[in-house]
Amino acid sequence: MTSAPQTSGSNNAGKSRDKNAFAPQIQVFEPHRASLPPLIPYLREFWRRRVFASELAKFTDKAEYLDSKLGKVWLVLNPLLLAMIYYLLVTVLKGGKHNNGITTLAHILIGLFTFYFAQTCITSGAQSITSGGRLILNQAFPRALLPYSSSISAFQQFLPTIPVYIFVIIIGKLMYPATQVPGITWHFIWVPFIVALVGITGFGLALAFATMNVYFRDTNKLLQYFMRIWLYLSPILWQPEMLHGWHRAVLYLNPLGPTLSATSHIWIDGLAPNLAEWIGMLSWALLSIVLGGYFFISRERDFAVRI
Amino acid sequence: MVTSLSQGSATLRSESKAPIVMPDDLAIRIEDLSIKYKINVDTKRTLKNAVMRASKGERVRMRTVEAVKHLTLDVPHGSVLGIVGANGAGKSTLMRSIAGILPPTEGRIIVNGKISTLLALGVGFNPALSGRDNIILGGLASGLSREEIESKTDQIAEFADLPDGFIDMPVRTYSSGMYGRVAFSVAVNMTPDILLLDEALSAGDASFKEKSFTRMRELCEEARTIVIVSHALATISELCDTAIWMHKGNMLAKGKPEEIVDQYLKFLDVGTLPSNFEDM
Repeated sequence: MTSAPQTSGSNNAGKSRDKNAFAPQIQVFEPHRASLPPLIPYLREFWRRRVFASELAKFTDKAEYLDSKLGKVWLVLNPLLLAMIYYLLVTVLKGGKHNNGITTLAHILIGLFTFYFAQTCITSGAQSITSGGRLILNQAFPRALLPYSSSISAFQQFLPTIPVYIFVIIIGKLMYPATQVPGITWHFIWVPFIVALVGITGFGLALAFATMNVYFRDTNKLLQYFMRIWLYLSPILWQPEMLHGWHRAVLYLNPLGPTLSATSHIWIDGLAPNLAEWIGMLSWALLSIVLGGYFFISRERDFAVRI
Repeated sequence: MVTSLSQGSATLRSESKAPIVMPDDLAIRIEDLSIKYKINVDTKRTLKNAVMRASKGERVRMRTVEAVKHLTLDVPHGSVLGIVGANGAGKSTLMRSIAGILPPTEGRIIVNGKISTLLALGVGFNPALSGRDNIILGGLASGLSREEIESKTDQIAEFADLPDGFIDMPVRTYSSGMYGRVAFSVAVNMTPDILLLDEALSAGDASFKEKSFTRMRELCEEARTIVIVSHALATISELCDTAIWMHKGNMLAKGKPEEIVDQYLKFLDVGTLPSNFEDM
């Protein structure tokens, strides 16, 4: 089950190889020995067709919220309402103080928004191959574009939650000036890097689960339970500082643990992420994209017969 | 992997380092192509079943399907090739491998030109989106840029001949004929060098069929190549200048469409292969 498309320009091929690299004329499909296709042409084609992924994300979002009266407001409302429920569970029922309450709410909110970003990347990415069956059977393109499109869509859904979060903490600070939650700090400059690392981690895991879903069609169902357990194991409903000594390893064994700890540091404590968090975030992003990418790309030529 | 180019043919270097020669007059060259794949015989492909089987020490039941067997074929530029054969003959697998969707197990396919495909009706249209949105997505999926597909959208919509305003309505409101016409219109208006059509000519009424034939003849006059899989044998006879008959992965015959269709029809009537094909 292996093939390797080699491409070249049809005329004066040797000279025009680079120029025509993005507009292949002669393509050769043949078996190849390695489990991975030649990566440079694959990644080149992936990059050339990235607009397809972004437009697919845009159109999929448009289709999803076309018949909903509140439309994309649900993207914010859903995690916001869930955060309120968790807040009630964690703070009010436990008799928390008001100042501390705002801190807890802010921590739950930013944790949930970040976790939801990764979760949407993974769950919609996991379905992207099986639900894109007809497209896969009709067109030849790097299949990784489909989970990538899901990650773009997840990012577009995540973006509006940031202003909502900022609005909530500004209101909280105005109502309870003594709260620990900081105002605007220069440490916010780390946020785009952290978001990018969450996106990469989510995309890498989406590639792995999308492949699994082709072979085992109940992967997506199991993923829902898996994500719920993962949510409870992540420092969202509890603070990372609650872990001491070797227990802190739990934080770093969780692919989103260092990220959630870092976001909590920035948004709640007004501090920059520490070195351990950076190493944790980078390691998980790299591990996810390399292993998920290898698993997906080495299997993707099999998808057309498995779907 | 280009190494050199000789006059009248392109010489490429494959991953296996074996030189590949592609004469300029050929659109598609298929060399000793075999396609095999394994299918899971179990009805439910779930993790739960896999774990249950593993706990009982049972192995996954797999079956190897030999969809195409040692097929060699050249398709010149500007020709229309028809493929006939019964269900399970390997026609669709062959089309998908030419499109680069299904990989060869042995042999090689060399394709010279931009490919447009209509291999599965529906082509992944999103029913909630309008026809126009789906045309844009279809064009982007086939490798066009946003500007290229936007410049063709009106032409595609006009060719699909939808009733007034339908192009901006959700595809779920379309009849199956309208759906098929839009899909066909996208495929033929991509200005492909090679057009691959699998059972796609049944879309639309008689006048749309005539329009489709006219468009395909125009493509041939522009030296573009068409490969058609169809059970409508009259279409094969009318449109194609060469035809092949495939049976259980083998190419049994190649020649003039009328002759191939005749042989195939005799096979369908009698139900057994002609004696000279029996050992294939």
